[in-house]
Amino acid sequence: MFNVLEKSLNRPAMGMRSRDGGGGGGGGGGGMGGACYVYPENLITNPNLVSPDVVYQRGIDMDIPMTMDDGNVVTMWGFTDGGGGMGGGGTFPSPAMRVRQGQIVHTVLDVNMMWAHTIHHHGIEPHYYSDGVGHITWDVQGASYTYQWRPAHAGTYFYHCHTNTVLHAEMGMYGALIVDPPEGIGTLYSGGPTYDTELFWVVDEIDSNWHRLAWDAGTCGGNVGLHSLNPDYFIITGVDGSGSTAMNAAAISGTFQRGTKVLARYICAGYHPQRIRFGGLTGTVHISDGRVLPNAIQATELRAHSGERYDVIFDLDTRGEYIIETDIIHWVSGEVLGTTRSRITVI
Amino acid sequence: MKRRDFLKVGSAGIASALVGTTGLISWSRRAHAATISKTFYITDGTITMPDGADVYFRGYSSSANGLDVPGEQLVVQEGDTVRITLVNTLNTTHNFVIDGVVDSGAIGGGQSKTVEFVAGNAGTYMYHDDRNGEYNRLLGMHGGMAVMPAGSSDELYSGSPTFVQQYFWIFHDIDPDWHNALRNGSTPSSQYEPMYFTLNGLFARPPGAPGAMDPEVDAMVDPRSALHGHVGDRTLVRILNAGKAAQSVHTHGNHMEWLTENGQIRPDVWKKDCLYLDGNMGALDVIYPFEVPPDSWPPATKGAYPMHLHSEMSQTAGGGLYMFGALTDIYFE
Ligand SMILES: [Cu+2]
Ligand SMILES: [Cu+2]
Repeated sequence: MFNVLEKSLNRPAMGMRSRDGGGGGGGGGGGMGGACYVYPENLITNPNLVSPDVVYQRGIDMDIPMTMDDGNVVTMWGFTDGGGGMGGGGTFPSPAMRVRQGQIVHTVLDVNMMWAHTIHHHGIEPHYYSDGVGHITWDVQGASYTYQWRPAHAGTYFYHCHTNTVLHAEMGMYGALIVDPPEGIGTLYSGGPTYDTELFWVVDEIDSNWHRLAWDAGTCGGNVGLHSLNPDYFIITGVDGSGSTAMNAAAISGTFQRGTKVLARYICAGYHPQRIRFGGLTGTVHISDGRVLPNAIQATELRAHSGERYDVIFDLDTRGEYIIETDIIHWVSGEVLGTTRSRITVI
Repeated sequence: MKRRDFLKVGSAGIASALVGTTGLISWSRRAHAATISKTFYITDGTITMPDGADVYFRGYSSSANGLDVPGEQLVVQEGDTVRITLVNTLNTTHNFVIDGVVDSGAIGGGQSKTVEFVAGNAGTYMYHDDRNGEYNRLLGMHGGMAVMPAGSSDELYSGSPTFVQQYFWIFHDIDPDWHNALRNGSTPSSQYEPMYFTLNGLFARPPGAPGAMDPEVDAMVDPRSALHGHVGDRTLVRILNAGKAAQSVHTHGNHMEWLTENGQIRPDVWKKDCLYLDGNMGALDVIYPFEVPPDSWPPATKGAYPMHLHSEMSQTAGGGLYMFGALTDIYFE
């Protein structure tokens, strides 16, 4: 069952894409548990490792119950803080990573199971050994792997699994990744504006039918419906966002004194496009996708698509209650499928 | 030999003449405008999807017995006279349109027509058939045209950030039920639900899959799609969406410098790792700078990174087969 693993050792110097084309048998690709085109090349050790400034240990939990506002429980998958076993402990979303620009970071992924996963640090651009793209670099299966990266730009990122990505990221295998400038928390980027407090708007949609699939669903072929995402739940930062729950959740919503500068870190974590409306507030967008804009822009709403991030500072100068609504919009029809709501109250 | 046959055969070399020898759009500036002539044959056929399904397509093809989806890339410069001869080998009526530039009018079954226009503003255009609304475009009748600024070989428009090489990424999505209905001459009645997703007409293949690493089959290595460069080889990519689904274009390795959106020059150049590409002929121009991946340690100057759509349904084929969708590779050499 380790045939694919052995084959991988024959790679040419540059040839992370140059596997021989034979596949691992009938279905091609081989792999364990009937998966195809998954490459658990754990015998590869990241060759570039140096002594890190920060280490994040991540394990896997594929049984995280999430209770929706309607009482239904949907199974989520995620990363645990700390490596090791299958004993649970995972959260949705996965625990955040927060590092300082210029630090050498190790992310140690420990997959203590016969199912494959990776960590890709989305928006972070490391050596390909540390890029964590399953199927074409290294899936981690029954072993651990260390990713090394050194963030050069402050801003909002996220990390997620990149094995059978269409399914695993939808199952909730992601967490926030914040890069602070050398000045530390409270400054958006080096020499840039300051803020007093932060909100996290990580907006996502869930198709609960997908949440009954196996980790390798579809990899060998067959129509398991992964071309068609028909969400029935709309999530903001791990909370059912359609009703009032998120409007009373810390770090998503809040009540602030007039004069407070609130930084909202908005991540489009779903697969359908979104439109976020700031409910009457005007924000200043300073950073998108971890890069400072040449000129900050004022915005009362933004549109975004999968994987985009926007860092928006609100100077709260007028008392009132502001409801921030994010529409999740069908990628073909343009129909609004659902809306999440969060709240900023200025007193 | 039609591409469908080639795809069924699935071996390298046979169809090399169909796709051309280079993926790069090679372009040398000219001091004077020229007349550029091109003949497209409107043809049809079936193309085999990664799950084995045969789906009907129509295309603007470079030979009467070929089937090119998308059509061959056109590269001209401002002021050129562009003369397109269209030979309709089908018995259905078609046209050739570049919005705001040229409209051939109806070309009946079995008829031919030549249209001529002067290339106007520098930029990226889609040519397509809008005779029957969007249907013929969805069936495959689309392609990209680049208009270079007069006398310039390294700008998107006069004064734009510069590049040393350029590519097209033309995305498409396919609902086989619609293609079947249109083949039979009927109007699609089902809700559009794309099941297959292509880049420059090809599907990606994960390593080990049939056709993987074959440049005629695998979008990961198709020389029209896969970017190759050394550090510093700033690369313009002209991105068009012939399909209906809005996509998020995501690059690994480097952020993209975002120059235009739907033909409009952006007021500032933002650096983005994901860009919103509208459905139904959305367009973006970006420069992939081939800088040392900024978060690599030790700094990496060589390696390969994917470009994939982050609207991840587009990474599947036939409802599964992750990584048989619209993605390619970016090689730092
Ligand atoms: Cu995973
Ligand atoms: Cu991502």
